[in-house]
Amino acid sequence: MTTRGKRAAETLYDKPLSSKGKLEVNLSTYAFLFSEIVQYSHGRVTSLSQLHEKLSDLGKHAGFRMIDVLCLREKTPKRETRLVNHLLYIQKTLWKTLFYKEADRLEQATASESTFYLFEDDPVVNRFISVPKDQSSLNCAAFVAGIIEGFLNGTQFVSYSQHQLQITYWSFP
Amino acid sequence: MGIISVYIVSKAGGLIFSHDQPNTSAEVEATFNCPLGLVLEEVDRQVVVKYGEKHGIQVGYSLVALNGQPVANRCIPDGTSAMTVLTNPENYPVSLKFARLRVSINERIMLLSMFHSIYAISVKLSPAKHSSGIQCLEADSFKFYCFQTITGVKFIVVADNKQQKVEDLLKRIYELYADFVLKNPFYSLDMPIRCEHFSTNLTRFIEEN
Repeated sequence: MTTRGKRAAETLYDKPLSSKGKLEVNLSTYAFLFSEIVQYSHGRVTSLSQLHEKLSDLGKHAGFRMIDVLCLREKTPKRETRLVNHLLYIQKTLWKTLFYKEADRLEQATASESTFYLFEDDPVVNRFISVPKDQSSLNCAAFVAGIIEGFLNGTQFVSYSQHQLQITYWSFP
Repeated sequence: MGIISVYIVSKAGGLIFSHDQPNTSAEVEATFNCPLGLVLEEVDRQVVVKYGEKHGIQVGYSLVALNGQPVANRCIPDGTSAMTVLTNPENYPVSLKFARLRVSINERIMLLSMFHSIYAISVKLSPAKHSSGIQCLEADSFKFYCFQTITGVKFIVVADNKQQKVEDLLKRIYELYADFVLKNPFYSLDMPIRCEHFSTNLTRFIEEN
């Protein structure tokens, strides 16, 4: 096996994504890929809410995979079990890994104790997207909401009671 | 003044984006006594100076306001035609505002497709092989710069003589195009550009220069 490894030339696919080892992806590359994702989903749905759902589903896949990535890179192997701490972990560590900055604010709703709001004023995914006026309620950050949902589902924070784990997203001007 | 207008022409020759800096058209307001001294005619829903020059108003200027009231579609707000008001000697002295109005969008599309063809002609006429086309057209009061990208999209900037380093500006506008137009999932190639982010960033960039 080792001699075979030495003989086989290292192709482009064997090399890591970033040769410097910095775990960064070019923003333009990402933006083009995300634009294609939105176009692909847009062509296969009939309503805006379906588009939000599709984007959020794709985000769930990404969020689920982030769990293992983060656990691998974390120094402390301790897992958060309390809800508030886990949400803070999302706000700080998950966001830092994904977007190189922390989410803006995490607040608890005054009305109910089990509702939390995670604010993101200028999502990176939306930076290059100008939504046309006739679809102004579209927010492509549904993808990011899907990531959070996938992450929470994968870390066993799915509620078993009647209350649904609901992720909603607002856009801020 | 700096940059006066920015145009983007697709590789097929159609205008896909046009932007004019506001406050760059000349406006003159003056009081006139009978006789007017200028010959006016109605052209294309506008009252235009056909002959004569007075108070800095030249041939080609359109009537914008009459006695403070805006003139729209050759009429003042109460419905009377501007020409009837001006042919009646009792209405004098009258205060008129003239301005050189911008070229309409349809004319612009036509003129820029003409430029697209001229650009292709200049490439063919060039004695050197693989030469680029027209990069700068100079006139006495402005310069017309054009930058064609490898994909065939032309970025055109009309700037006054004082503006420096327009080539760098054109490259930067190309970068803005690549960012806010090409990464927008709702934009199809070679279609007119209706992206908010692109317009805001472009206006901001022009203002800074």
